Amino acid sequence: MSKVTDMTRKLALAALCATATLGVSPSQAQQATELRLTYSNGQFQPNQVSAPADKPVTFRIKNLDAKAMEFESTSLRVEKVVAANSEGVINVRALKPGRYEFYDDFNDKARGALTVQ
Amino acid sequence: MRARILSRFHSIALCVIAGISGYGSAARAEDASSWRDIETKYIFGFTTGSGIGLEGEKEFTVDSIGRFGKRDGNYAATETKYEFEFTPSQFIQIEFGALGSTHNIGGVTDLDDRNQVALAGGFAEFRYLALERTSNNPLAVTLAVEPTVRRIDETSGERVRNFEFETTVNADLELMRNRLYAGFNLLYEPEVTQMLTGETQREATFGGSAALSFRLASNVVLGGEVWYLRHYDAANLTSFTGDAVMLGPTLYLRFTPKMFMTAAWNAQVWGREIGNPVSLNLAEFQRHRAKLKFAWEF
Repeated sequence: MSKVTDMTRKLALAALCATATLGVSPSQAQQATELRLTYSNGQFQPNQVSAPADKPVTFRIKNLDAKAMEFESTSLRVEKVVAANSEGVINVRALKPGRYEFYDDFNDKARGALTVQ
Repeated sequence: MRARILSRFHSIALCVIAGISGYGSAARAEDASSWRDIETKYIFGFTTGSGIGLEGEKEFTVDSIGRFGKRDGNYAATETKYEFEFTPSQFIQIEFGALGSTHNIGGVTDLDDRNQVALAGGFAEFRYLALERTSNNPLAVTLAVEPTVRRIDETSGERVRNFEFETTVNADLELMRNRLYAGFNLLYEPEVTQMLTGETQREATFGGSAALSFRLASNVVLGGEVWYLRHYDAANLTSFTGDAVMLGPTLYLRFTPKMFMTAAWNAQVWGREIGNPVSLNLAEFQRHRAKLKFAWEF
């Protein structure tokens, strides 16, 4: 019985290590470039931002409007609903050089772009 | 039954055409540079694009494929996927669900007459984005595997135990920014089927497709695709039994930011059966196939 318990513990430890290894990819281990945006009156401020290539990016979006917005980008492959008067954090992988557009999925007029170089 | 299914497809096609004509006038006034990037996975019909969705996105879809027409008699079979898909990371997409099927077969050589609706099995799909598109690189490539278990044979509707392992490479190319896309698939689909008699059949389908899709309006994409498929009576592609070319139009229509549909129709335009000097390959493939998919994102 104790052998079984010991084996279970070892398996649990191995699973924990594997999960931890999978959970922290090399890109996330790097220091992320933090981009702070505000969202008010249905617009991103600023709506043009830039970041260095091959480094992860973290968007911090403060929604100052009285209704929720959804930060979304097909090219960044992320989406997140940010509730009214609150802040949302979106982690993005290390990016290759290029232009990545983002928008509020609830408001077609709210657009912005990230330039990575 | 077949007439009912075809009539349903015709009614949906008419609604879609009416919808497109409404969108057409809007399209002329729109500037494609102001459109949002499009998710390419579903814009090529039976050909699958490279898209894997957005991290955190979940989707429920109902995806029906109908196959119609054999050499003789009446043949109509459908298989519907009731599917849940989600994107846990910016590189991986996972899908799984149940399969439902219908078979309406009468007077077809080598197939028993049948009129049935059944829960046919289940499937899962794992997709990995191997090469991502950027504003500097128009090509994107995704690798996908889809294990499927069936208790109802796809073609005959008989009770069986079928295990299939579809492997695909889904690539697409943005030819004109926000307007014109080319899609390419490479398919290898080995399967093993155990009949109730105890007999075991091994077979495989190998082939590829090319598709071209034009974004008429921000939410309407029209296109065409061609498939070349080869069938083997062995998983290792050694016993070739015939091949076929399927050709037809495709449509993608987004109703709201969170809801869309895709439709496609392919007709067999060329085919051959090894050892049977007839035109078309209707032993392993069908005369027509149609696809209709509705999706809700949340």
